[in-house]
Amino acid sequence: MDQSLLIGLVGLAALVALIAIRVPIAYSMILVGGIGTMVLTDPRIFLAQLKNLAYSQFSIYDLSVLPMFVLMGNIATRAGLSRDLFRAANAWLGWMRGGVAMAAIAACAGFGAVCGSSLATASTMGQVALPELRRYRYSPTLATGTLAAGGVLGILIPPSVVLVVYAIVVETSIVTMFIAAFVPGVIAVLFFLLTIAIYVRVRPQSGPPGDRVPRAEFIEATIKVAPVVAIFGMVMGGIYFGFFNPTPAAAVGVFLVTVFGLLRRVVGWPELRDALLDTAKTSGMIYLILFGAQILNIFMARGGVPQAAAEMMANSGLSPIVVLVLLLLALIVLGCLMDSLSMILLTIPFFWPVISVMDFGMSPDDLKVWFGILALIVVELGLITPPVGMNVFVISALARDVPMRQTFLGVMPFFAAELVRVTVIVAFPALTLWLPKVLAG
Amino acid sequence: MDGDAAKPAAGLTGLARRVIEGWALAGGLVLLGIALMSTWSSVAGVVFAKPLSGDFELVEMGVAVAVFMFLPYCQITDANVTADIFTARAGVRTQALLKLLSAVIALGFGVLLTWRMYAGMLDYQQYVETTTILHIPIWYAYVPALISLALLIVACVISMRDLLHEFRRAASA
Repeated sequence: MDQSLLIGLVGLAALVALIAIRVPIAYSMILVGGIGTMVLTDPRIFLAQLKNLAYSQFSIYDLSVLPMFVLMGNIATRAGLSRDLFRAANAWLGWMRGGVAMAAIAACAGFGAVCGSSLATASTMGQVALPELRRYRYSPTLATGTLAAGGVLGILIPPSVVLVVYAIVVETSIVTMFIAAFVPGVIAVLFFLLTIAIYVRVRPQSGPPGDRVPRAEFIEATIKVAPVVAIFGMVMGGIYFGFFNPTPAAAVGVFLVTVFGLLRRVVGWPELRDALLDTAKTSGMIYLILFGAQILNIFMARGGVPQAAAEMMANSGLSPIVVLVLLLLALIVLGCLMDSLSMILLTIPFFWPVISVMDFGMSPDDLKVWFGILALIVVELGLITPPVGMNVFVISALARDVPMRQTFLGVMPFFAAELVRVTVIVAFPALTLWLPKVLAG
Repeated sequence: MDGDAAKPAAGLTGLARRVIEGWALAGGLVLLGIALMSTWSSVAGVVFAKPLSGDFELVEMGVAVAVFMFLPYCQITDANVTADIFTARAGVRTQALLKLLSAVIALGFGVLLTWRMYAGMLDYQQYVETTTILHIPIWYAYVPALISLALLIVACVISMRDLLHEFRRAASA
């Protein structure tokens, strides 16, 4: 084995060790990447790079969409959008058996269309929908499971932080990724609704039908979601149909949700202040990880680790589909231990070279998009699986009387639905690749 | 015991915490300002077919500055993501020790980057490089960035102090 590859592998082991002893993932990457690069090349070169590496990384135009969407989501969380969405969804679906839970899923999907974060979606929708689910005597297992799973839609339906980062790592268009995620996102919503329908058929007591809403209230609730639809239409529609680049679109979104919140008098300085500080935490965290990944990648590329991994897989004689399944399984397992963003940044630089040398019967550009959507789905599964299912934690914190084990149980049917969805999307790449072709052509 | 969480609000540490939070908030306002500028530019582009020239340069610079301003706040609020699962069962003392190690690494990073970026700023001042359209000197952005890094160092020292305190208390208990 060549020496720099060996050093690269030692570095990788050191990285895992640092992460395991709770050193922040970003700092683990910076430390290992920095030391490794200095060992493999002249330290003076690296120190000279550091003069402008951070600034040039932080000022990448394509990345600027991230803090914008984070800010938009944080203001939307405080602007009462979630309540409007749930009321409307409940007016439409609530009367069915399991309907209130279905309404929660639909509202999560709607909220996911203006917010790119899973946790934010789970916690805001949880606050709104949990009391209602209790009022209609839904079983705690179904109620909490639905909300924890529904939160995942925040990420699966664009905008999505993970998708932006993936697009930048593999150098593909953010817009194409957003468009490609749309159909799979709709399928996720349909599968989740179907899951609830089957669940309440098997256990009728778990999700009794709600009340039929009087006609006037039905109309009023429906009209009230118009602003959300308008905001989504302008922001995501603008991106999909090429009126806006992602960053200006997100900026317009920030403006619209802020104005909406101000006009409705639910957002004042205290709310704005909280939204800004939350945005500071999330964005700072994201950029620091991005910076760490950048340094780590300089090291790994010099050590030739990704290339070696790709070569090994290519020579292994495994069929492309087996390799794909293995990588997706690896992401599911890692997802149980780590947050999705760090995972994408850590694994994709290794996984993508492996996938790219395999023949799936599609162009490299299509392959990037298809693999990205698959990675997005499995990476998010970690949010609802033990031991660190963050969405489950968030919902448990809201429903303190429901044991966490019960919430994890409630999530299981949705987890199964997600596995079915991954299989469907693997089997039919056209579900992912069709819409980008139509809109681009 | 819980009273300790409120205690650092007083004195020099309390002041430093408030400055760091205020600095992050100012960064948030920079981001909000950039969003409004970009919105205006889009509207002007659609309505008058005349977007602001060089708006993307302001986005790049403004976002970079805002992100630097967020970093000390991330450190002081422990917002940087970790994988907690392997150490969740460790004792309070071990946990404090590991967190202390993280704070030391963060401090090293803060010092190293301050040193290098200061050198970077001097380079940019000597051979002035500007943005292409608006001709804004790049080193302007380095001033708030360096202040942020200095505050990051302060934040790391505060974390280390708190953790040392925690460690001693756990050791004596």
